Amino acid sequence: MNRQISSNLPFSAIPQEIASQSSINAVCFCFLFSITPHFRVLPLWVSGIVLVALGWRVLQNMNRVQPLPKWLIVPMVLIGGVSVFAEFWTIAGRDAGLALLTVMTSLKFLETRNHRDLLILIFLCYFLIATHFLFSQSILTAFLMLLTLIVITATLITLNQRDDSVSIRSRLIISSRLIMMSVPLMLVLFILVPRVPGPLWGLTNEQRGGVTGLSNTMSPGKISNLIRSNEVAFRVEFNGAIPAQKNLYWRGPVMSMFNGTRWYQSRRPTIDSFYLVSFDEATEYTVTLEPNGEHWLLALDIPTHLVEDSVMTADFQLTSKREINDLRRYSMISRLSYQVGMSETADYLELTVDFPEDRNPRTIAYGRELSQRYDNPEAIVQHVLTMFREQNYIYTLKPPVFRDDVMDNFLFESKRGFCEIYAGSFALLMRAAGIPARIVTGYQGGEYNQVGNYLIVRQSDAHAWTEVWIERKGWLRFDPTAAVSPDRIELGLGDALQDEILNFRIRNRNPLFGNLMYRWDNLQHNWNDWVLNYDENRQRNFLSKLDIGIESWSDMVFALIIALLSVTGLYWAVSWYRERPSKPETYEIYLNRLLRKMNKSGLEKRPSEDTRAFFKRVKSSDFQQKDQVSKVIELYNLIKYGRSDPDSQSLDNLRSLVGSIKIQAR
Amino acid sequence: MALFSQLMPKTMRARIDAWIARRNPPSREKILLHNRRLYILPTRFGYLFSVMLALLFLAAINYQNSMAFVLTFMLTALGIISLWQTHKNLLDLEVDLLSPRPVFMGEPSEFLLNFEHRNNSFRYAVGVQYAGQVPAYLSIGPRGKAQALLKIPTHKRGQFRPKGLTVFTRYPTGLFHAWGWLQFDTPILIYPKPLFGVTLQETMVEQPDGKTSTSTIEGDDFAGLREHRKGESLRHISWKAYAQGKGLLTKTFQGQARPSLWIDWYQIPQGSIESKLSHMTALAILAENENQKYGVRLPGKTIDQDSGTAHKLACLYAIATFRQVDFDQEFDPDEQAD
Repeated sequence: MNRQISSNLPFSAIPQEIASQSSINAVCFCFLFSITPHFRVLPLWVSGIVLVALGWRVLQNMNRVQPLPKWLIVPMVLIGGVSVFAEFWTIAGRDAGLALLTVMTSLKFLETRNHRDLLILIFLCYFLIATHFLFSQSILTAFLMLLTLIVITATLITLNQRDDSVSIRSRLIISSRLIMMSVPLMLVLFILVPRVPGPLWGLTNEQRGGVTGLSNTMSPGKISNLIRSNEVAFRVEFNGAIPAQKNLYWRGPVMSMFNGTRWYQSRRPTIDSFYLVSFDEATEYTVTLEPNGEHWLLALDIPTHLVEDSVMTADFQLTSKREINDLRRYSMISRLSYQVGMSETADYLELTVDFPEDRNPRTIAYGRELSQRYDNPEAIVQHVLTMFREQNYIYTLKPPVFRDDVMDNFLFESKRGFCEIYAGSFALLMRAAGIPARIVTGYQGGEYNQVGNYLIVRQSDAHAWTEVWIERKGWLRFDPTAAVSPDRIELGLGDALQDEILNFRIRNRNPLFGNLMYRWDNLQHNWNDWVLNYDENRQRNFLSKLDIGIESWSDMVFALIIALLSVTGLYWAVSWYRERPSKPETYEIYLNRLLRKMNKSGLEKRPSEDTRAFFKRVKSSDFQQKDQVSKVIELYNLIKYGRSDPDSQSLDNLRSLVGSIKIQAR
Repeated sequence: MALFSQLMPKTMRARIDAWIARRNPPSREKILLHNRRLYILPTRFGYLFSVMLALLFLAAINYQNSMAFVLTFMLTALGIISLWQTHKNLLDLEVDLLSPRPVFMGEPSEFLLNFEHRNNSFRYAVGVQYAGQVPAYLSIGPRGKAQALLKIPTHKRGQFRPKGLTVFTRYPTGLFHAWGWLQFDTPILIYPKPLFGVTLQETMVEQPDGKTSTSTIEGDDFAGLREHRKGESLRHISWKAYAQGKGLLTKTFQGQARPSLWIDWYQIPQGSIESKLSHMTALAILAENENQKYGVRLPGKTIDQDSGTAHKLACLYAIATFRQVDFDQEFDPDEQAD
């Protein structure tokens, strides 16, 4: 006899529904909203397909165009797939995968008819949010995605609400409320779900578009271009005092080869240890490196430790084994005052005095002349530095540009240049004089953020300097820029070149604005530190710092369940209180009491009757106390519909009247 | 899901059915959808959603992408909250089924359901459905009321208890399906479909034999006087006798009474039970419309001759429920008549 129910068991099937036009339009908008930020990275034709497909679908809803015939859809899907393959030569990976997903979703709109299809499209929109995070995980992206999440959820609510009278605004409010309620639960899950070290399978390590940063070659103009970018290269927290600005040389790519115009890296073996003479205490700090698309791990000169997943080359350059396409955080110990490389290989020393003879003849000749004049290398170095300092050399971002023999023109004609040309010509002079010399690129200085007590190093702090090898002293750092413009090293670039780059540095001239910028940067730093870097190590450290006994995975799962239950329990309690039923009025309670009594009398209220009809029937029946019942009804109506609020006297009367009706059990 | 329930062993299904029936006794009054009456399971999209979450989670681990973790957990939280919200959307609703009017088989039976709640919350997309039929959806405001009208096709005569009436919702996200069974004790009555083209003559009209001639106040030939009874029309009082001081007397007449008839099972032309009942239904309606006195004779049941709406309903009821084995039987709109 329960067969009907059992076919209902999980729940009866709801017949397939045709989607309404307004809901299709809503989903079209929702998809457009989710995909628009991707238009920057998608191939132009893919963006075109999105717009055409959505436009067609909306026009179709307005009966302006015919729906596409069904047989056309399959060829279009195939053509779409082949086009994506033709564009990327793969359909896997981030960029190709995104393009494929976008094309297929757009085409899906052309054949969407049912309610069910729309739900699938909504899920695809949710999935699209994840793809945005493969390109950027900044605060702004996160904020935009939060808005997108609200829009998608509002669309999902629209599909399930089945009430066209609800305004878009209140749908957005309902959706925002759901999302905001999800945030605390999300935080609990984020903190407590045990993290697994990745990756689980092979990654195609794709580069983010348009990353600025140091390059592995150096030629005039390269660093001065980088200087114009105000982007953050990395941020540093020090354990202890921040060293003086002039000691902050962040070591990056080292270039030992010179072809006449360009300096570039030589292939050097990696080393496990090196001999170091140090004259000071260790400086400990933690770097949060922004993705640079290369392998450089920046560290203060000179780094004494390795970072996970990295090697050190023989020229003391820290190199990551993978391209750095994600935020990277590492702790490092450096010695700022040191001697290294006393026992350099002969091969390498030969390499670092080499230069092409056919370029920059005047420079080479001058270098050779210097080697005749002085018998010790340090005197030559001092001579050149003094020349930079005392002659009319100018430090500028906008030097005159020369085609050939750049160093000759700089040293003997214009005498105007930027750090790269100072370092380059200095190194060439040394080599011509027979002294091994190389270029080190990296960053110099940094900007102190007092809000968060850390150092911001930007692309505009990019710098190039030289190292010269001197017997028994090893590789010594000389910075020709310091000779010509001590301000650059002592105070930073902004002060050294005030007139030229006023517009792009944040300075504390306007205290309010400067402070706001530092606050914003501090927020980004904390975001990087706490959100983007929250991995299994961070999780373990954080939970042990909380000191509430969460140590193992099972502890975490247990804490997770408790926390989830507490939050949902809290929600339940708040909503129960806010939505609690109104108390029935006292007179309604008395009326219900009467109705219960009447039920016992046998004159029960039929399901089809309302209260009024029932009492009408009572009145015309032979019920003994029907007069009293009529009195109750009369008084009840007077209280309920009367002009004045019910006074306690009439309520008492009502109660005693109801009480006076006695029913004999039949 | 339907597949799932079909794959279940029969004994298990029976056991679950019994459990459900125990928890949802038929109700004579309005049903309050409290916790014990409500059930909730993920929908097909709920399952799809969880697969998507698993994929996102794996991707987040693989790419060590913190924001992908955030998104995964955000959507998980959304799922947890919609479980609660979907359940809450039905909780403490009061549903009342007004007794449906009896209909003739083939006409839709109209179920009017009253929904009411006293909570300070909106209820959206509250669906009410009868066993696989197209559902009706309602929105109910805070402390509000709403009505739903379900038109249920009828294929079988008899009196049934409406089972398989469910109230459900998937609001707000469609990830979960919450539902409750509405088992009302309110009977629904379906008369057989009246046979078309039936006339009253034929054998059904009982020929008046000798005994049917009795003294009545109507008739052609004067028969005599008798004492006036309260309620009789003043038209029939013999004012002549009253003037003679004999008191109030009523004139009676000897004559042919109005033809009365029997709608008799055994005199209906041969046919199936259902076609005979169809025929009888048509005759009862016709007789009532022509203001005749009629009675119904069914094997094992006779309804005496009379007329009037109450009488008609009694006759139709008897015909409709004739040889209905199980009065408690559920009403399945899709089941064809035997």
